[in-house]
Amino acid sequence: MQTATVNYPKTSHNDQMSTDNTGALIDFMRAIATQRCQHAFSQVFKHFAPKIKAISIKKYGSEALAMEIVQDTMTNVWRKAHLFNETKGAVSTWIYTIMRNVTFDILRKSKSSQEISISDDLWPLDEYATEEKDTFQDHLQNQEILKRVNELPNKQQQVIKGVYFHELSQEQLAQQLNIPLGTVKSRLRLALEKLKQNMGDQHD
Amino acid sequence: MINHHPKSELINAFVAGELPTALSVIVASHLELCRCCNDKAKKINQHQADDAFSDADLSLNHNDNSQENTALDNREFANHSLEDNKLTAHHLEVNNEFADMFAAIVADKTTSTPATLDPVEIKVKDNTYVLPKALSNIQRASWFKLGKLSRSNLDSSENEIHSHLIHIEAGGEIPQHTHNGYEVTLILSGDFYDELGEYSQGDFMWLDKQHKHQPKTKNGCLCLTVANDALHFTQGVGKILNPIGSLIY
Ligand SMILES: [Zn+2]
Repeated sequence: MQTATVNYPKTSHNDQMSTDNTGALIDFMRAIATQRCQHAFSQVFKHFAPKIKAISIKKYGSEALAMEIVQDTMTNVWRKAHLFNETKGAVSTWIYTIMRNVTFDILRKSKSSQEISISDDLWPLDEYATEEKDTFQDHLQNQEILKRVNELPNKQQQVIKGVYFHELSQEQLAQQLNIPLGTVKSRLRLALEKLKQNMGDQHD
Repeated sequence: MINHHPKSELINAFVAGELPTALSVIVASHLELCRCCNDKAKKINQHQADDAFSDADLSLNHNDNSQENTALDNREFANHSLEDNKLTAHHLEVNNEFADMFAAIVADKTTSTPATLDPVEIKVKDNTYVLPKALSNIQRASWFKLGKLSRSNLDSSENEIHSHLIHIEAGGEIPQHTHNGYEVTLILSGDFYDELGEYSQGDFMWLDKQHKHQPKTKNGCLCLTVANDALHFTQGVGKILNPIGSLIY
């Protein structure tokens, strides 16, 4: 029994909590998964239970419902800890996924006398609690590109969004906009040139 | 290639768990067929998680003593064996309104691994289809058949929201109609076309009441539909069928 090797949080100032706890939370999850460690679970519990309660009360306005959501979420964390894959994503994303799923099932059962839980079919835990390593970078870059695209003249926006966001072929786009294919091609070329210029600007 | 996708707001609401069951199921089914929306949903999930748990108002009252407390806990804990049931919530510092809940949860020593479900196969008029995983635990009523149309009622329906599997044989069509509310269609297999365009597997269409359409299929198709009201036929033999509009969608 190697509980002594578990690493605990070094500091816990409010403003640094999320970063400071990330590594520690993973260690706790590991201890729960491999050793059913109640101490580790108490740390995860203390961190998330009050937040889940507050989130649920804010959303549904019922303390009883909020406590039910906390109970079901934390029960799943305790019983499914071995399914958490630290290489795939953050503990908080995993727990958020569980919270959303149990909430969906609780509300559905109360509304329609359904007994079967279907949330794990809709949001599979092993899929949703994962992230691509470069997601955040992508996100930032996408935001930047989107901002620049929205600055383009309307007609150029149309072709860029059609081709890159809606994945239409240039032929389909010509058909949809009711303009010649050549016009689509030239608008696209103009738009891309302008985008490159504008994206370049910020590095000057 | 999939050309018609759910709007971002719809994916957002889906990830937040805010949609009715039938709409959640149809969006989830699209995500199983559409890589780009699937990636989008996962990113949204991550952002929602970050937003939810980083809300400053929800932060715990951590103070500088907590390091000390944790170290104390740790030492105390080392003296207990894991099987020691006397390890109380108090020792574990969960000594507030959650104490009973905590004790009840850790008293359960079992773990839970979800059963991996085999994909559900259905047979309609000699065609076999594999259903999306999102439909695995949704009950289907037996097929109601009317010419080239077959329809099975799904128990993801709630109140005025109805969900069906609709099968149209090759060369079949649904009489021209409008909708009193919305009608969402996801093509699970095959293709169809209407006045607005052509649609194939994975395409997700959201139609409101201003749309009037008459879907036809060359090769046959299986669709998942969600409508929040009966459809309304606008011409020809369809008019006679009006009372059974609710039987089709
Ligand atoms: Zn899509």
